[in-house]
Amino acid sequence: MNEVTVAVRARATNPTGRRAKGRGGLGQTAAYAVLVALALFVVVPFSWLILAAFDARATIFVKVPETWTVGNFRNLFADQDGFRLILNSVIYAGGATVVLIVVTTMAGYVLSRFDFPGRRPLMLGVLLIRVIPPTATIAPLYVIATDLGLLNTYRGVILILAALEAPLVLWIMKGFFDTVPIEIEEAAWVDGATRFGAMFRIVLPLAGPGVAAGGLIGFIGAWNQFLVPLVLISDQDKVPVSIGLFRAWVSYTRVDWGFLAAMATVYVIPAIAFYVIARRALQASIAGSLAGT
Amino acid sequence: MRPVRNWRDALTVVGFLAPALALVGLFIVWPAVWAVIQSFTNRSLTGAGALNPEFVGLENYRRLVRDEDLRSSLLRTAWFVFVSAIVGQTVVGFVVAYLMAERPGWRLRFMPVFAAIFVLPLAVPETVAALTWASMANGTESGLLNRALGTVDAGPVRWLQDHAFATVSVVNVWRGLSFAMVLFAAAFAGFPQQVLEAATVDGASPSQQLRQVILPILRPQILIFLMLTTITSFGIFGLVYFLTRGGPGNETEIVGIYIYNQAFRFFDIGFGSAAGVLLLLILLVPGVAYVRLMREQA
Repeated sequence: MNEVTVAVRARATNPTGRRAKGRGGLGQTAAYAVLVALALFVVVPFSWLILAAFDARATIFVKVPETWTVGNFRNLFADQDGFRLILNSVIYAGGATVVLIVVTTMAGYVLSRFDFPGRRPLMLGVLLIRVIPPTATIAPLYVIATDLGLLNTYRGVILILAALEAPLVLWIMKGFFDTVPIEIEEAAWVDGATRFGAMFRIVLPLAGPGVAAGGLIGFIGAWNQFLVPLVLISDQDKVPVSIGLFRAWVSYTRVDWGFLAAMATVYVIPAIAFYVIARRALQASIAGSLAGT
Repeated sequence: MRPVRNWRDALTVVGFLAPALALVGLFIVWPAVWAVIQSFTNRSLTGAGALNPEFVGLENYRRLVRDEDLRSSLLRTAWFVFVSAIVGQTVVGFVVAYLMAERPGWRLRFMPVFAAIFVLPLAVPETVAALTWASMANGTESGLLNRALGTVDAGPVRWLQDHAFATVSVVNVWRGLSFAMVLFAAAFAGFPQQVLEAATVDGASPSQQLRQVILPILRPQILIFLMLTTITSFGIFGLVYFLTRGGPGNETEIVGIYIYNQAFRFFDIGFGSAAGVLLLLILLVPGVAYVRLMREQA
C-alpha cells in the first residue's frame, strides 16, 4: 500500500479528525499534566544554582535574593583559588581536546578510507572499550600512572582524559570522514596532490564541522570528569573545578555558598553550550543512524 | 573505501592508527590487563605489600566471593540500576517520548518548549547535579523538598540520611532521563508514519499500535539505550560519592564507591583491582550486547 492510498483511506474513515480528537481530549489533558510535572522535576533543581549565584547572602537553601549581585562572579575571577580551579579545568579539558583531535582524526581517517584485515573487529573493539567505565580500571590506572611519573601532573591527567574519550570521539570522526566521498580526494590526486596534501587540504576542511563536533564532545567529557583528577591529583594548585566543588561541599560549614554557586554556574555553561552545538553528532555516534539523524 | 595495496598504504594505516591505539592501549586496556595480573597478588599502596607484592593465587577472588560487603554492594548496584536506569530512565523516558511524538489523532502543543526543558540536565557535570540536589534534598525544614512537604503538614524528611538510596536513585533518573528522551524522540521522529496510519485505518487501538507496531519497530533503539544506561549506571561514582560518600553506613555504597574505598581508602590496590575485574566481567554482558546491536555500522 503506498502513501497516497493510506492518506486517502485515512481521510475517508476520519474525515475531520474530530473523532480522534474527542477521544484524545482526556488523554491529552493527562499527557500535559505528566509533561508539566516532569518539566518541574527537571527545572526546579537549577533554581538553587541560579538564585544563589546572584545572591549576596546565599545559603544552601533555595531563596530569592534580597540583594541581587554579580559580586559572586566577580569574586570568583578575582579570587586566586577560584580562578586557579577554572584555569586548571581549562588546561585539563583543553589539553585533552587537542590530543584527542590529533589522534582521532588520524585514526578516523584511516578507518574510513582503508579496508584492511581486522578493521571491523578493531572498530567493534573500540566500541566495547568505550563502554568500560573508569571506575572498573581506576585502581590499576593509579598504579600505572604512578609508575610512569604521571601523578600530580597536568600531562598525566590530560593524557588519561584523552584516552577515556578517545573511543567515542574516534567513532564520531570516522563517521564524518565517511560522509566525504573518496572521489573528491582521488580527483585531487589526479591533479597532482600527494596523499597527505589531499587529506589536509581537501578532506579535513570538508569534514571540519564534524571534527569540531567530535572535539567539543571530547571536551565535555574531559571537562566533567571527577574520578580521574580525584585519584591522580592531590596537589592543591592543580585541582580542577569538579574537585574544588567537592572539597567545598565537604567543608560544609565554612563555605561561601554564593561563591560556590557562581563557580558551579560558570562550570556548567561551557558543558551545556558545547552540547547544544554538537548534539547531533553525539546522538549519531552513540545510537547510530538508528536514532535518525 | 580502498584495500591496502602497497607498503606505503600499510605504513599509513599503521602510522595513523598508532597514536590513538597507544593512548587507549596504555590507559584503558593495559590497566584492565594489569588488574587481572595484579588481582593474583597482595599488592597494596602502603607497607610491605607495596614494595614486594607476592603471588597469592586466587586469594583475592576467594576474599571477593566471601566478602559480604562486596556482595551487598553488587546487589545494591543492581537494584540501583534497575530502579533508576531501567525503570526511571528507560521506561519513563520512552513513555514521555511517546506522549510527545506526533501520530495520527494525537498531537500535543508546545512540544519544542518541553523538549528544550527536558534536555537541560544532559550536559550538566555530575558534581553540579549532585550539588543542586544536595540543596533540594536538604534534611532541614528549609530544604526545598521539605518546604513542599511542609505545605501539606508533612516532613521534614532527612532525605540524604534516612532515604539516601531512594534519593540518589532519583538524582540518577534526573541526570539520565534527558538522554533517554533525546534518543527516543529521535527514534519517533524517524518512525515511518504510514505504518501507524495503516494500523489506525485497520482499526488498531492505541495500545495495540503501541504493543504490536511501535515497540517492535523501535526495539533496536530501546535495547541500545537500555544496554548503555545499564553499563553507565553500573559504573557511576561521582554522582553518588559527592552526595553521600556511600553512606549512611553503606546504604549507598554502590560498586564504584566500593572499589574506590578498597583501593584508595584502605589502600588495598590488589583487592580493589580484583573487584574492578569483577565489575568488568559483569559489564561484558551488556557491553557485548551493545556492540552486537551497533554492529551493522562498523
